[in-house]
Amino acid sequence: MNPGSRRQLAWVFDLNKCIGCQTCSVACKVLWNDKEEGADHQWWMTVNTQPGRGTPRDWETMGGGYPGNDGIQLGKLPTPEEFGGGWDFNYDEVLRGGHGRSVHLEKTSGSKSWGMNWDEDEGGGEFPNAYYFYLPRMCNHCTRPACLEACPSDALFKREEDGLVLRDEDACQGNEQCARACPYKKIYFNKARKVSQHCIGCFPRIEKGVAPACVRQCPGRAAFIGFLDDEAGYVSKLVRKWKVALPLHPEMGTEPNVYYVPPLAPAPLREDGGFDENAQRIPMAYLESLFGGSVRGALDVLRSELDRKRRGLDSELMDLLILYRWQDALGHLDRDPAEITWS
Amino acid sequence: MASANRGISGSSSGTDGAWANRYRDRWSWDKVTYGSHSVDCYPGGCLWRVFSKDGKVVREEQAGIATPVEAGIPDMNPMGCQKGACWSHCLYSQDRVTQPLKRVGERGEGKFEPVSWDDALTDIADAILDAIEEQGPEAVLTLLTPEVGAMPARLLATSLGLPTTDGNAEFQDFSPGWHLTWGLFNPTASMDDWFLAELTLIWHANPVYTNIQWYHYLAEARYNGGEVVTVAPDYSPSAIHADYHVPVRIGTDAALALAMCKVIIDAELYQKQFVQEQTDLPLLVRRDDGRFLRECDVSEGGRDDQFFWWDALSGSLTAAPRNTLATMGVDPALDGIYTATLKDGKTVEVEPVFARLRRRLEDYTPERAAEICRINPENIRTLARKVATRKTKIFIGWNSGKYYHGDLMERAMALLLGLTGNWGKKGTGTRSWAVMGMDGTSFMHRKQGPGQAEAQKLISGMIAMRQLVSAGDPTMTPEMIQNRVAEQAVELGGLGNTFPPAFLWYHQFGYKERWDDPENNDPSMKRSFSEYLEEAVEKGWWDPSYSKRYEQVTPQVLFESGGNLLRRQRGGQKLLLEHLWPKLKMIVSCDYRITTTGLYSDYILPAAQHYEKLGSSMPSVHHLNYVLCDRATEPAGDSLPDIEIGLRLVEKFEERARKRGLKEFTDSKGNVRNLENLTARLTFDGALRDEEKRFDESVRDNAVYGILPKGTTLETLREKGQVRFTNWGMAGHGISQASTLRPDEVHNPLRWHTEDKIPYDTLVRRAQYYIDHEWFLEAGEELPMHKEPPNHGGAKRRFQMTSGHNRWSIHSMNMTNNIILNTHRGEPFVFVNDADATELGIENGEQVRLVNNDGDCLIAAKISPSCRPGQVILYNGFEPYMHENWYSQADLEAGHVKHLGMVGNYGHLKYRVFSWQPIPADRAVRVDIERVR
Repeated sequence: MNPGSRRQLAWVFDLNKCIGCQTCSVACKVLWNDKEEGADHQWWMTVNTQPGRGTPRDWETMGGGYPGNDGIQLGKLPTPEEFGGGWDFNYDEVLRGGHGRSVHLEKTSGSKSWGMNWDEDEGGGEFPNAYYFYLPRMCNHCTRPACLEACPSDALFKREEDGLVLRDEDACQGNEQCARACPYKKIYFNKARKVSQHCIGCFPRIEKGVAPACVRQCPGRAAFIGFLDDEAGYVSKLVRKWKVALPLHPEMGTEPNVYYVPPLAPAPLREDGGFDENAQRIPMAYLESLFGGSVRGALDVLRSELDRKRRGLDSELMDLLILYRWQDALGHLDRDPAEITWS
Repeated sequence: MASANRGISGSSSGTDGAWANRYRDRWSWDKVTYGSHSVDCYPGGCLWRVFSKDGKVVREEQAGIATPVEAGIPDMNPMGCQKGACWSHCLYSQDRVTQPLKRVGERGEGKFEPVSWDDALTDIADAILDAIEEQGPEAVLTLLTPEVGAMPARLLATSLGLPTTDGNAEFQDFSPGWHLTWGLFNPTASMDDWFLAELTLIWHANPVYTNIQWYHYLAEARYNGGEVVTVAPDYSPSAIHADYHVPVRIGTDAALALAMCKVIIDAELYQKQFVQEQTDLPLLVRRDDGRFLRECDVSEGGRDDQFFWWDALSGSLTAAPRNTLATMGVDPALDGIYTATLKDGKTVEVEPVFARLRRRLEDYTPERAAEICRINPENIRTLARKVATRKTKIFIGWNSGKYYHGDLMERAMALLLGLTGNWGKKGTGTRSWAVMGMDGTSFMHRKQGPGQAEAQKLISGMIAMRQLVSAGDPTMTPEMIQNRVAEQAVELGGLGNTFPPAFLWYHQFGYKERWDDPENNDPSMKRSFSEYLEEAVEKGWWDPSYSKRYEQVTPQVLFESGGNLLRRQRGGQKLLLEHLWPKLKMIVSCDYRITTTGLYSDYILPAAQHYEKLGSSMPSVHHLNYVLCDRATEPAGDSLPDIEIGLRLVEKFEERARKRGLKEFTDSKGNVRNLENLTARLTFDGALRDEEKRFDESVRDNAVYGILPKGTTLETLREKGQVRFTNWGMAGHGISQASTLRPDEVHNPLRWHTEDKIPYDTLVRRAQYYIDHEWFLEAGEELPMHKEPPNHGGAKRRFQMTSGHNRWSIHSMNMTNNIILNTHRGEPFVFVNDADATELGIENGEQVRLVNNDGDCLIAAKISPSCRPGQVILYNGFEPYMHENWYSQADLEAGHVKHLGMVGNYGHLKYRVFSWQPIPADRAVRVDIERVR
């Protein structure tokens, strides 16, 4: 079935502002699963360099979702090695062990050859026309969540008031069907607690009127949140009015609710080193493989609105993306958390 | 498969279970304080909320309460990066040190035992006293690092007059080319001004890594219709969001800038009036010896700092006014050859600097520069025209100055901006770091007692001092007066007996041999490095208290607080451990974490972490806010706030001196230092012994000094978190901004010059592109030019290594935070081009050895087509003990200083704290990559 919600919260990430700093990832980690047992390797929010193998490694090849818009597909279950990371280090041995230079700081747990951001800043192409951009990823809180359908324990649900896809961790049996079904591979397994875990949409913050940590703590001012049906909101304007924010891998059929303003990138260089003003540095085919065919139109709109500004004309779209007032990115969730007192 | 879902079918939203409450509980807190991270990150100045629960800090989040300064410009929220977002993790991490530790094994072995503060400080104080008695205070080294953790060493140094190395060379964030041109330390616009640039050249900077919380202004300037161009040898992370990437060959940036200058001059796109008024380009130079025509050349008893124009209107030699930049009805010629009559009646041909510049630029046609820089000449023309027709800002960091010929690059960039009138107005200029507004702390030790009346008295004294310095010369500007005072009394800024360390390094750290190695020297040097150094010292260009003193004095005590010398020092640990370490009888590391330097110390003193002490963030011109870093929790274990460590050290020193009957000593400047009642004098008989009282006093004093709004106190800061500066104050680098702060506008430096026509503090009192010092003339560097980087590391090495601040850590401070380690590879790595790697048979992630004539280090290869062929990029900050065998990047860096940096007898080329001096180079060193496995 395709569980509906009355309203749907959606995220927008502007990839022309995202600088891959991982503040969203770290903010999420520190808030939700820094001290949690069994969650060392969990990063509900991650930022990867594209093109790249990402996290878990080669996740785009693992299947899941509703490919071809047919029935659900249970894809590959990512292994701990493919997620990588979750490292602890031999601090005591190096700092207090009395071994001098014969030891150095090394990983004592987790994969030695992959992590959540292993291929950072590597990218593709060939110098001088190399290319890459940063792609923040989290649970897409899909309108058609394959994880929910796949769960045999009925632990997953879609919240009526905002469409968050959440997991009753007390009901979760940890059989990881959800992780197989999720085409974005953003579901982790907690070995210590024997439950699956994923982004909770910062629901404790949302219910207090505070934006999720990934959005509120984004120093690049690249993250927006709001209800899709709130026509005055920035998210709705970017997604529905201007159609410059697109979902990732729409072909996977889960109707994700995280949207991306696609990357422009600098003009490439011709063979003789001259600027090739009209060419695309990031191959269009690659962008289409990520964001579908609409990406071409979205980039055209972005370029023509940029051009308007350069000619001294107004542009509502550019003004939205400039985000003169930061709180506007937070939509109705613009409360300062420090105002809250816990009883 | 699943059937119903609770959100739809259940009675509640589904988040009422125990599992949900566990998450709610995780987000809760019982105390909120304002916090920041007072570190040398420039940005810096981020205001956070620090959330604590049951006496422990649980997390932090950007406060996001900044209000926009100028209408129509985006606000600064939310300031803070990923390091800041897990700062709290450092409080309880395994590299934290919470007890005083005494070495019990060999240095570097990592064997320590806990001792009491009293035992540790007694031992340290005795070692300092021994050094003073045996050789004098110069035998005690404190190193100037700007972190608040440096406070203990600074307090001791200030109260005893101990020498402190100047940070400009110590951590090398100096732009010598800016100083040569403007006589100023890094004039810097506030970051909200970036929004107003019509063209931003990101050049020698990587703001995507280093300006995480402010980068948005660049993205937003682009959305606002501006263009962004990134000039970098690699497809830098800061190129990915630019409109154009200019892949300039490593170290050839001066040629690129000069070619743009040529295009602009040839097309007559330069701003003639700006050039005539603001720069030395119309000043006349003698064609016989290449020196400026001076009044003393033409008339008996004439000044040697009066220069001349040729007035095109009257057709006569005219003195360029010393009291204003205004041309006063004169039309100073930019071209032509003229005749001047000398005082002996002979004549000499003279010509404007501009005419000489035209000839110099013949070497930099776009085609010629294209060959040098390996870029297309049309791109140079396109860029030049853009610069000439738009409000242009060069977004520069601290990279250029770290090239051996970085001064030439910066002078060429300054020329580009000068020709196009791109400074002293919104959306223009350059960027670099600059601090300000620390008067309350800096002047504390100079007050005669507690209270703001004493601060007021101090101001009166300083004003009197300034009047004394400027007496008799009405042409002296505020910049000149402040700088002359600083040259005479280096203690004014509270930086103690600060000195340029190049001479110490040369004599005592083992650099002499390396700096004299002909393979390392620039081809234009006619003599060995030593001969230049000896000439500079013999001629008295540098104070003998440091330039000669270290020929004899052997460093005996090293007190490193808040810094990590064995990671930082260009030239590397190997050199230090071989040459410096054996001389040292006492090495102290004072820090909140165990660093490589700590492991090689005799004592580690545990400092409180930022959330455990009271302070303000680094006051920076970029954000112009005074930001409170409050104490959120008690210091862990036996750790202590920096100020407390410093005071205890001074107390102990006083006690131990008394015990040996030492009442005074004479410092290197000949000042007698009285040791009696040292602590009482520092604390005003205990009135300001307490951390909180002392901090409150510094805040209240800041209001008196005029840099904070009247009525600002610790209490009001605790309500507001931060407050915008109202003025520059009397110390620090504020004066280098040469501009008055406006409460409702972005800040732009140099407006005193462009708007008020106040002269610059350079020899010729204008932006100076022509340096007619004999050494500069000998080197051919009287005007900007391009020179290839010398082959540091070995001419035959295949790769050139570049570097820069990393994304993941402020220097090494956050590098061992295991949350951060998990966001990259968790080990040191170096970027290598993919084609190069294939050729060498290196796989991604493979351990390799980087090696050159100076040293080597083991590191993982990270392979990317974004790295230029022939380049390796090693972002700095990896803690040496993260490398197998601990040798690190610095071991590959020659650490040379350019011989021209030792000029010290020429106008503005004279030492004062944080200003002109020899600085080490570490970029473009040559390395080979060797496979090890």
